[in-house]
Amino acid sequence: MIKVSKLSKQYVERTAVNNISFEVEPGEIVGFLGPNGAGKTTTIRMLTGYIPPTSGTASIGGHDVFSESIKARKKIGYMPENVPLYDDMRIREYLRFRAELKGLRGQEARQGVDEAVELCGLQQIRRQMISSLSKGYRQRVGLADALVNNPELLILDEPTNGLDPNQIRRFRELIKQLGIRHTILISTHILSEVEMTCNRVIILNEGKIIANGKPNNLSSELRSAHTISIELKTSEETAKDLISAIPGIKKVNKEHQSGEWTHFNIRTESDTDVRESIVHLANTQEWPLREIRTQHATLEDAFVEITQANTSNS
Amino acid sequence: MNTPLVVITVILFAIIVLSIQKFLSGGTGIVILKKELKSIFYSPIAWIVMALVMLLNGFSFTAALEILRKADVDETLIGYTFSSTSFWLTYFFIFPVITMRLFSEEKKIGTIETLLTAPVQTIHVLLAKYMAALIFYFIIWLPSAVNFLLFRISSTENVNAVGSFLGAYTIILLVGFFNISIGCLASALTRNQLVAAMACFTFCMLHFLIGFVLQDLPVPESWQGSLFYFSTVKHVQIFISGLIDSRQFIYYLSFTILILSFTYNVLEYRKWKT
Repeated sequence: MIKVSKLSKQYVERTAVNNISFEVEPGEIVGFLGPNGAGKTTTIRMLTGYIPPTSGTASIGGHDVFSESIKARKKIGYMPENVPLYDDMRIREYLRFRAELKGLRGQEARQGVDEAVELCGLQQIRRQMISSLSKGYRQRVGLADALVNNPELLILDEPTNGLDPNQIRRFRELIKQLGIRHTILISTHILSEVEMTCNRVIILNEGKIIANGKPNNLSSELRSAHTISIELKTSEETAKDLISAIPGIKKVNKEHQSGEWTHFNIRTESDTDVRESIVHLANTQEWPLREIRTQHATLEDAFVEITQANTSNS
Repeated sequence: MNTPLVVITVILFAIIVLSIQKFLSGGTGIVILKKELKSIFYSPIAWIVMALVMLLNGFSFTAALEILRKADVDETLIGYTFSSTSFWLTYFFIFPVITMRLFSEEKKIGTIETLLTAPVQTIHVLLAKYMAALIFYFIIWLPSAVNFLLFRISSTENVNAVGSFLGAYTIILLVGFFNISIGCLASALTRNQLVAAMACFTFCMLHFLIGFVLQDLPVPESWQGSLFYFSTVKHVQIFISGLIDSRQFIYYLSFTILILSFTYNVLEYRKWKT
């Protein structure tokens, strides 16, 4: 559905997008993840034909976004960040205008509007002025606009920005539901969103793709480098050194002390399980051990890990 | 027969016909035009502007009637109306008012992005907005025509000045073509409506002054003749006398096309800026 190859956007003072390539298959829900300023919006604007790339190509459903821009744009339902809308129009009137703009006429347009209104739960307020809408409803109108001509591909730029938790939950349900009929590219910096809705995640940092895979795989990739937390009763200063001496342990951090109990965070090499050796050590040293636990990495950890590692390298 | 003039006229005519044909093709232009007209006439702003312009026109008209009543003069009623101060004041204010929001508002609230990422061509967007402003402009002047028609109906004497009447409204439309294109350009350049209005006002004013005040400034004598060609006041006088001069058609229409093409490039600027 989307084919991006060696896409770059170069501004005088900085490179917004640096030589990225990726593909999105029909039917996928892909999360486009990255810290603010990573180049998500720039990439999306290139895909929607709003700005051209400096180099590289992108195509939507086989149509190049620059040379066959109109054909490519017909396949896209785009909801920009912050959902710009005409405040002086009524919801239905606006959607009708957008439907006609996208080439639907008469009965077709009416049907498109009705379907979008129903899908986005706007029936009750479809005659209201857009200026009177709350943020959540504006977001829904933006989505209804993206859906109105039933496009194959939905591109949503930070769709849950500024919504309250209930609205976010409802929005997520809606996205999942839409994923049955549409290919969706959804940009966000909210990780739980991606974890819950997307089949695949592309992480972007400083204009480059630094990870591309299933949300579970990304976090389990990180999980291979374990963090183990233990709590011991020991007064010996040497405890830290003794634990560090166990083969496979990278680093031991003394987290905090509560009474006689000391809490350590232990980072280990990937693919080694040192829990048994730690228990053994505690036994031989006669340290009472009251907790030993492997911490599971979430996508959030993966995100922080990957983006920060990349930033500090560059 | 002036051959270059004929050639230029034909080229101009062809460009206009082609752009109208382009505009009508696909129908998206009409969709945007309809929406623009709705947003003009569904808001109170349009009606307030029209009412106030009518008020000013009433002043011009009454003043002109007064001149005719007082003395035996050779100018027509239309001539006096369209050379009055309140006519020229209206003239300068009207263009910024009707063009300032065309593009800058869309830029400010961000809808320019949804508009230009819809499957529409930028030229359609430009022409639709330009035409909407032009239609509004002409509707603003329509009530003033009623004044003259009423005068003609109620007058006991034969006051047949059809040439003068048609000439006046033709030149108003012609300068409208030109000045609204300047307004479009100003509005496309900024996201601030006030800046757009001021820029439009300034350039309309400068154009007006080129053929007018520069005669009082230290301009070489040899230039004055050519600067005279730019004089809107002179053009209005020529047309009001009932002479519909093709040179002014070419002058205003060719500049309109030039400035609209600038505007098109400003709208497309984001595509080649780095």
